[in-house]
Amino acid sequence: MAPEVTSVGMPLLVCAGLRKTFNAGLAGARPALDGADLALNRGDFVVIIGSNGAGKSTLLNTIAGAIEPDGGSITLDGREITRLPAHKRAGLISRVFQDPMVGTAAAMTIEENLALAEQRGQRRGFTPHLDGAKRDRYRALLAGLSLGMEGRLSTPVAQLSGGQRQALSLIMASLSRPSLLLLDEHTAALDPRTADLVMEMTLRIVAEQSLTTLMVTHNMRQAIETGNRLVMMDAGRVRDDIGGIEKAALTPADLVEKFRIDNDRMLLGT
Amino acid sequence: MDVIQAYLNLVPVTLSQSLIYSFLVLGIMIPFRLLSFPDLTSEGAFPLGGCVCATLLMAGYSPLLATLAAILAGAGAGAATALVHLRFRINSLLAGILVFTALYSLNMRILGRSNVALFGADNIFMQINPAILSDVRLQVVTFAILIVAVLIALRWYLATQAGAAMRVIGINPDLAPSLGISIWTCTIAGLGIASGLTALGGALIVQLQGYADVGMGTGILINGLASLVIGETITGRQTVTRQLLAPVVGAAIYYQLVSLALSLGLQPSDLKVVTAAFVLVTLGLPMLRGRSALRETMRA
Repeated sequence: MAPEVTSVGMPLLVCAGLRKTFNAGLAGARPALDGADLALNRGDFVVIIGSNGAGKSTLLNTIAGAIEPDGGSITLDGREITRLPAHKRAGLISRVFQDPMVGTAAAMTIEENLALAEQRGQRRGFTPHLDGAKRDRYRALLAGLSLGMEGRLSTPVAQLSGGQRQALSLIMASLSRPSLLLLDEHTAALDPRTADLVMEMTLRIVAEQSLTTLMVTHNMRQAIETGNRLVMMDAGRVRDDIGGIEKAALTPADLVEKFRIDNDRMLLGT
Repeated sequence: MDVIQAYLNLVPVTLSQSLIYSFLVLGIMIPFRLLSFPDLTSEGAFPLGGCVCATLLMAGYSPLLATLAAILAGAGAGAATALVHLRFRINSLLAGILVFTALYSLNMRILGRSNVALFGADNIFMQINPAILSDVRLQVVTFAILIVAVLIALRWYLATQAGAAMRVIGINPDLAPSLGISIWTCTIAGLGIASGLTALGGALIVQLQGYADVGMGTGILINGLASLVIGETITGRQTVTRQLLAPVVGAAIYYQLVSLALSLGLQPSDLKVVTAAFVLVTLGLPMLRGRSALRETMRA
């Protein structure tokens, strides 16, 4: 166990009463978040499921700072960050997007992407962003992941496959040791085999760095097999929060029964 | 044969001018290509640089100071366009139009009248070497050294942490904030640098020609875009270095073509429609084939 798990009793992340309505004022505008509460302890790996429109992505975007909530508060590590711009919380929070195209800078090389990610949350000055020492470090890092990218440091990311780009995006998200890792259906756009590889890599990185992680998924097998807590969202709120032994004993049938999931995007295994 | 001879006689002069216009084309390339921000500020920033420089020279200030003031004024104009776009969420093209329209009045105020001849005023070339103004070969060498120095500085900057962050804004604006990169800071800095270079071009051309005119920016953006597109077909855009060389190569070729067209008897006033048609064809042809060089950048 990482030392920080036992160090402080206070939760790492507290979302309290988050509210957000898009296009407020327009007829039929429904709140995407309607008083969402969620707390993450250090070392937690929380998986969020819920039907389309339940508010999962809005919650993740609000925590990342991409969306400003209408009400409620977000506290990270004891610091209120509700109105902090996304780029100012990037040093604490990193994320992997669903779309592999979004998580990397396509026209830049693998090493440039890694260097940019390593600088996350630091002041960017007038020193060269790449040097020999960094290149050696990145080569070693990639060699350890056996993705075939270690010999292609100066290849533009645009030439990589979707799976490779998502793997790179994951490495980039973990490179600067964030306090909180957000995974937004990060395997959903990949073919099943690649999705499994990226998920395996995710678990390894999260375990190695004892990262506190919040993952949104539509894949029920992932939801059951992954993490120590399962959170179900519905209509902009957290409806259920299953942890400990109950989570460990959960089966897909339980999940369907428990949440009466009727969503066709929910995948029973793959 | 007279026509060809007339053109050939003009080759060195045109080359010298095109090297100065390279600063302008660089100032157009940076927002369009590196920031994916179609920026029209140059229509106002180019004459702004010229007017600020001319006014300060006529008031007796040192040419170096006048030129630096022109660069700063241009940088301010670029930053203004960035702020109009960021703060009021106004489309980038419209933000540029607003700023260059306002700059027209400002330029008129700065210059005091619509044009000024710099009789008797000192200028930066006389300070470097008085022979520059009369010796075209010396001009070409001097301007080439100047533009190479600027290219080296830009190449260095774009490989620094700050410069690399700026490039991310143009490549993937959705990713930038999650890497801790501020869209505001990078856009303001990028447009500032770009319009500063454009204004430097305006200040240098005024000092070379000994003449400033508030209308000197009219149509300059399309000339610059035409130059950029020509340059890119030769250098390509695969690396930062190639992208940086495109404006210089493009300006050199474009202004030779203009000179040739004028030698062949084309009216200067007809030149604009020819240039516009040329830009339309170069940008439009790939679009007809299903993909456009500019489409990604114009989307912003």
